[in-house]
Formats: sequence, structure tokens, C-alpha cells
Amino acid sequence: MTVTLTGKGVLAGMRRLATIALLVFPFGFGYGAAAINAGMTPIEAIAMSALVFAGASQFAVLDIWVQPLPLLSLALITLVVNARHIIFGAALAPDINTLPRRKRILAGLFLSDANFADMQIARRNGDRDLGILVGGGLVMWIFWVIGTAAGALAGGATEDLSKFGLDMVMAAFFMTVMIGGLRSGTPALPLIVGAIVAIVTLSFLPVGWNVLAGAFAGGIAGVLRRG
Amino acid sequence: MDDTTMVWIAILVVTVATLFTRLVGPEIMLRVKLTPARTRFLEALSTSVIAAILAGFLARGSLREAVALGIGALVMVTTRNAMAAMFVCIAAAATWSAVLG
Repeated sequence: MTVTLTGKGVLAGMRRLATIALLVFPFGFGYGAAAINAGMTPIEAIAMSALVFAGASQFAVLDIWVQPLPLLSLALITLVVNARHIIFGAALAPDINTLPRRKRILAGLFLSDANFADMQIARRNGDRDLGILVGGGLVMWIFWVIGTAAGALAGGATEDLSKFGLDMVMAAFFMTVMIGGLRSGTPALPLIVGAIVAIVTLSFLPVGWNVLAGAFAGGIAGVLRRG
Repeated sequence: MDDTTMVWIAILVVTVATLFTRLVGPEIMLRVKLTPARTRFLEALSTSVIAAILAGFLARGSLREAVALGIGALVMVTTRNAMAAMFVCIAAAATWSAVLG
């Protein structure tokens, strides 16, 4: 099947993840508020969200956001927390690398947890238009940035998102992707191995690295499973 | 260097580090020959990474997260409706927080 990256796919990706993106707004709001509390100006907070678009790492670096800013530590924390993107990119490489260089870069620009998972659903259904990946990421980016702007301009006031169950949005989405995959024939062994290794290594690896360990173990299980 | 300049340099550092993680995966794979075993590895990797993220989330969470995801999973299995499963999961977590704190 031919791999493409079309405008039609981008629109489809935006539609597919529109509801999830709406639920990302409060997280963006929370980030904007936290960034103001950490000493950023609204413009700096909005720029961070617009340029980085990676919530977990953005929250993580706020912990060490004190002058003089430790640039090396900021870079290392960002690399560790976002290292799973490398796995996402490698997993999508058989499709992405059939595209011309400019489209390859475009496909990676908005890569995040939700649109990677959604692209897995699309691929399972035989759709290889990477516009779905880009569109899904784009709509998430839009609501992430708008949420950040709202939170930053509100001056740092924020509610605990867990009160509304919104801390479960991504986990709930991943759960549906996993069950959907298992129903359509995804082998269970790599999932089980990946989950176990991620939990076992959590006690001695930094958060983020345990995900890498689990993902690699699951990948190896996938190879060994079929000998 | 003044503080404002340092902030913008720091934002740039975080941006470049993130961009690196987003773009380097396919670049690495350009230099690796795709054998059937490596293809199987990547296929398994693409699903096991989601399982690993979810398992890590559950391990760091409490009974609230496990119960909410369990209820959501039940809805997903019985109805095959991902959106309904998600909303039930979120509602279950919100109800837990409201009732049990």
C-alpha cells in the first residue's frame, strides 16, 4: 500500500483527534498557570508551548526553572522525558522514510503520544496517509497553545484537574487503542512484556526510561515470538 | 547576559532537544537495513511502547486510576465504542475524586 501525506489526511487527522484535543485544553491551561507561577511571562509561556509542544517535558523543566537557568540540565531532562518520541519515530519509519525529506520532517514535527497512537489505529485499518498523524498533532497543538495562553493570561490561577477526572484523558485513550488493537489481531505478548518490564524497571530507572526499557523488551518479544 | 535573554535561550534549548527526539527516529532507521526480523521488532515496538506508558502510569497511580481504567476497559470490550469507554473512564475517576477525595 502506498504511503502518502495529503491535505485530506491532515483534515481527517484533525477530525479524528478533535475530541481528545478539546480535553487537552485544561492541561494547557494548567501549564500556562504553572509557568507564570515559575516566573515566566505570558509570552514566554506561550512560546514554550508553541515551540516545544510536549507537555510532560514542559512541566518537568519547570521544576528547575530558576535563574541562572541550568541549560545542560534542561536539555538532558527534555531528552529523557521525550525519548519515547525516538521510539515512535523509529516505529513509523517504514512509512515515514518512503516520503520526500520535507514531508518526512513535517511528519515528525507534531509527533506526540496521542497522534502516534491514532496513527496505529489508522495503519491497522489500512490507511497509510501520514497526514492523519500531522493533522492529529496539529489539532492537539492548537488546543495546547490556546490552553496555555488562557492559563498564562489568567495569571496563574488553576484548578486540580484530577477533580474532574481529566488526568485520565491520555491513559483512557491509550487503553482504547490497546484493546482495539488486541481485538483486531495485535499479538498480546509484546504488550504484556512491555507492560511488565516498564513496571519492574520503574523502581530503579528514571520515569521515561522505564518506558523505553518496556518498549524495547516488547519489541524483542515480538521478534522471538515468531522465531 | 540578562535574565530575559537566558529565558529565550533556555526555551530554544528545550525546543531543539524536543525536535531532536521527534526527528531522529526515522533518520536512524534510514541507516538500518529493514530485515523481516527488524520489521517485526518495529511492529511490536509500536504497540509495546503504548503498553509501557500505560503500565507505568498505572504503577505510579493509585487504586482510583486502576478502577477507572478497568471500568473504561469493560465498556470498550462490551460496546467497542472508544469514545464511550473514554468518557466512562474519565467520569469514573471524577466520581471517585468527588466521593472518596
